Amino acid sequence: MSTQVKALFATSASTTPAAAASSSRNLLGHAVFILAFIGLWEFASRQEWLNPTFFGRPSGIVAYLWNGLFVDRKLWLELGYTVAGTLISFVLGSAMAIAVGLLFAVFPKFEKAAEPYLTVLNAMPRLALAPLFLLWFGLGIWSKVAVGTSLSFFIVLANTIAGIRGVSADHITLSRSLGATPSQLFFKVTLPSAVPVIASGLRLGLIYSMLGVIGSEIIAAEHGLGQVLSYLQSTFNMNGVMGVTLLLAFLGLLVTAGMSRLERSLLKWQ
Amino acid sequence: MSAVRIANLTVRFGADVLAVDDFSLDIGQGEFVSIVGPSGCGKTTVLNLLTGLLPLERGEISILGKRPFVGNPDVAYMLARDSLMPWRTTLGNASYGAEVRGVGKAEREAHAMELLRRVGLAGFEHRYPKALSHGMRQRCALARTFTLDSPVMLMDEPFGALDAQTKLQLEDLLLELWREEKRTVVFITHDLAEAVALSDRVIVMSARPGRIVADIPIGLERPRSVKALQKDPEFHRIYAQVWSELERGIAVSGGAAQAAGQQALSA
Repeated sequence: MSTQVKALFATSASTTPAAAASSSRNLLGHAVFILAFIGLWEFASRQEWLNPTFFGRPSGIVAYLWNGLFVDRKLWLELGYTVAGTLISFVLGSAMAIAVGLLFAVFPKFEKAAEPYLTVLNAMPRLALAPLFLLWFGLGIWSKVAVGTSLSFFIVLANTIAGIRGVSADHITLSRSLGATPSQLFFKVTLPSAVPVIASGLRLGLIYSMLGVIGSEIIAAEHGLGQVLSYLQSTFNMNGVMGVTLLLAFLGLLVTAGMSRLERSLLKWQ
Repeated sequence: MSAVRIANLTVRFGADVLAVDDFSLDIGQGEFVSIVGPSGCGKTTVLNLLTGLLPLERGEISILGKRPFVGNPDVAYMLARDSLMPWRTTLGNASYGAEVRGVGKAEREAHAMELLRRVGLAGFEHRYPKALSHGMRQRCALARTFTLDSPVMLMDEPFGALDAQTKLQLEDLLLELWREEKRTVVFITHDLAEAVALSDRVIVMSARPGRIVADIPIGLERPRSVKALQKDPEFHRIYAQVWSELERGIAVSGGAAQAAGQQALSA
């Protein structure tokens, strides 16, 4: 998913007039395709070629979202829980991951000792831990944060380690010949050269945080879009299920777009 | 006092690889000396010993009377690749060495700016390396090396990766900076024409184990222009003479060395 999203934003960021013209033509093409798809769907469900109990129908989805967002506005609270859970997991997971990764860079022996444990933990399907986390942290937001954090932590850690290992041997040789101290080597060479790789890890970490939070909300929660989704599914409200899924997709897009923006402003030199 | 004195240097890697064998060389202050030889002959090893990056085991080295050590302020090292840091601007890269050595920001940036002007990069100081051509990047690396103010400069094939035209331009630029700044240069290359055009002396090394097979003074007048030399019959006469001395040297040093030496020179 992330590479597709990346590609999507890469094309929308092109700036030459010719590219802009071709991208606006593309946009028109997409609009026509989507409208035709929605129209066909609506038509098919009205003709009862498609069973609306299983597939919903576009007008019903729009009605559900309109009601949830602008009439009774109940979706905002659930959305808020999911976004809050995602952001907290992301910040906690990536802060710990970067800290541990940098610690590994400074103390390679520590990395060697910790590696087998991390490998086992990372191999564990984290969503399977959700029932355990529910017992430990309750039905509220913190059990979701635990799952989200456990996912984002490993992704960001792997990237931090890769970034630090990818430092250029020439930069190290040059700096050493200049008499750079270990701390100068770390802050002037290792860290800045690892930043782009860490940044792409952060992008993935954010997506995985959201995945973890929504997944564990579906299993059990008081609030959150995942919980709403699970409730709608069990009551056969397919318009609602489709609507919330759409909302989640937009949330995912928003999150990655924000991340790309941050990355671009942070890494002007790339 | 010599700028660089190397006596009876011998380097072994492990038990059986003899990399450099009984290497002795005396380089005067302000001299421009090139070392040519096939790849793997230990040229870079000699430079790494001079910078202190490799520990000295057998033989003696002194740089302006001092044993080599990592971070010696008397020595500036220029690598084969430009090794510019992509996250630093041209100015940030040009002043990097001085920054590591603890020179204040205002002073090092003023000095780096002056060097950037001299290498023709004024106006590019706030660009990042990705926006520079290969030649410009190596100009920036040259500025970084000269900003260090070290009297001894060690250069490891700095122009090896450039196209012919850009190479000539940068060689002339280097000669100009060298003439104005009176530094000692130890220049490593596998390009004999480059060595002859730039140097006061050309040292020829054999293939592994690296030994000196010829030490040839170059009598071309100074100041020189490498570009003008390309059409100068005197340059070609000296080049041919160095070539035959070199062949003689390699023939004397024996079979394996000869094969590798020929290969390097035809490259």
